[in-house]
Amino acid sequence: MIKRRQFLQYLSAFGTNLFFQISSAWAKSSDKDFFEGSDYIGKTRGGDFQKFYVNFWKTMRRIDGNSWQLEIGGLVKNPTRFSLAEVRSLPLKSQISRLKCVECWSAKAEWAGFHISDIESIVQPDKSSTGVLFHCGDNYQEYLERTSLSHPRTLLAYAMDGNSLSDGHGFPLRVIAPFKYGYKNPKAILKMEYVDGTVSGTWSKIGPYSTDGTILPGYDHPLDRGKVKRRIAGGEIFD
Amino acid sequence: MKFRLTPITLFFLLVFPSHSSSQDNQVLVPEGVSTMEPSFKFKNTVHTFYMDRYEVSYGEFSVVFPKHPSPPGAKLHPVSDVSWSEASTYCRSKNMRLPTELEWEKAARGEKGWIYPWGNKVLKKRAHPFYSGLIKRRVGYFKRDVSPYGIYGMASSVWEWTSTEINGKKVARGGLWNFHLDYEFSKTFERNVYNPESRFPFLGFRCAQSP
Repeated sequence: MIKRRQFLQYLSAFGTNLFFQISSAWAKSSDKDFFEGSDYIGKTRGGDFQKFYVNFWKTMRRIDGNSWQLEIGGLVKNPTRFSLAEVRSLPLKSQISRLKCVECWSAKAEWAGFHISDIESIVQPDKSSTGVLFHCGDNYQEYLERTSLSHPRTLLAYAMDGNSLSDGHGFPLRVIAPFKYGYKNPKAILKMEYVDGTVSGTWSKIGPYSTDGTILPGYDHPLDRGKVKRRIAGGEIFD
Repeated sequence: MKFRLTPITLFFLLVFPSHSSSQDNQVLVPEGVSTMEPSFKFKNTVHTFYMDRYEVSYGEFSVVFPKHPSPPGAKLHPVSDVSWSEASTYCRSKNMRLPTELEWEKAARGEKGWIYPWGNKVLKKRAHPFYSGLIKRRVGYFKRDVSPYGIYGMASSVWEWTSTEINGKKVARGGLWNFHLDYEFSKTFERNVYNPESRFPFLGFRCAQSP
């Protein structure tokens, strides 16, 4: 039974989200980033994001890097919290890779961050764990199997094109797994939970999105190439 | 029992090409000239060869590679996440080999050089459910996707390794093209290239054999 207070909270959250969704949809018709200058961030194609679209499950309040901590728990021997400074002190790894959205567009950037092995040596996942469920600032959840996370091309990124990740691109931390569709690259990560079985992420629960998310042979409309349609062979797009 | 090329079978193959397949899992593709355009600017002459009627299934593959991960209930589905060398090893264990891409194309489009294995028209039936991943069915499930020689799944199902190499990569043929969660059938001349060590959920294989 939902109490009156809870009902009002849900109603308020729903109303706020609806307001931002409608407003951002309106803003798309202009070239502005609707969220610029506000405390919130959400799905947008405006402003600088015309070159690299961003999607969010829900409009969310921007994360304060000073108070943010990455919580790692679940099936690990040493549950740990990392501050942003601690995350940034891990061995640096960078790569240029393309993010391919299941909506068909793609965009390329240079990403910098660390490989998951550098935190796993600290938290020590149980052998029984098969993957990680990511909990994100916009209430989005996504699961990635450990084999994909330990792939040499997978990165936990905190920088993009030489700068700290923008809020839109997932500040303070996001996954870059360039051989998976964008919905398998969660942004604004708050918590990593090691689990012992495949978990359907947010989109896989409600839409026609596979839990695997490997990029299939098909078509691409790269934003950096004028959205000109091209064929792709599946897996990571290297050009 | 293996299908043997004898004067009588050759006669039936020439007179009744659409009924040229045996009841066995291997199909004879007779020697002949066929167009390869637009993938190649020449007419293709391949010698007679046999080709698997269906893609190799998880069940079949597990006999040779028992540790290969197999999803529950997928014994009859086309095997995937297989490297080129594993596919090649599997075929060799059957005294077979991977087909060349010229053989694959000949087997898919026949001597008339059809755009799709079944002819030149796009099927009205959807190639695949609206979904971001592959939904696999048992091999040979889609009865309309059959080549002039009676070979199944060459325009749908999964992509297939061939033995042909280009600049250190291996050519794959067939399979589905995903477009914004929608799908289309491969045309018989379309191809992709992959690093031979690649493993993908959309990439499987079938074997061939010289007589």
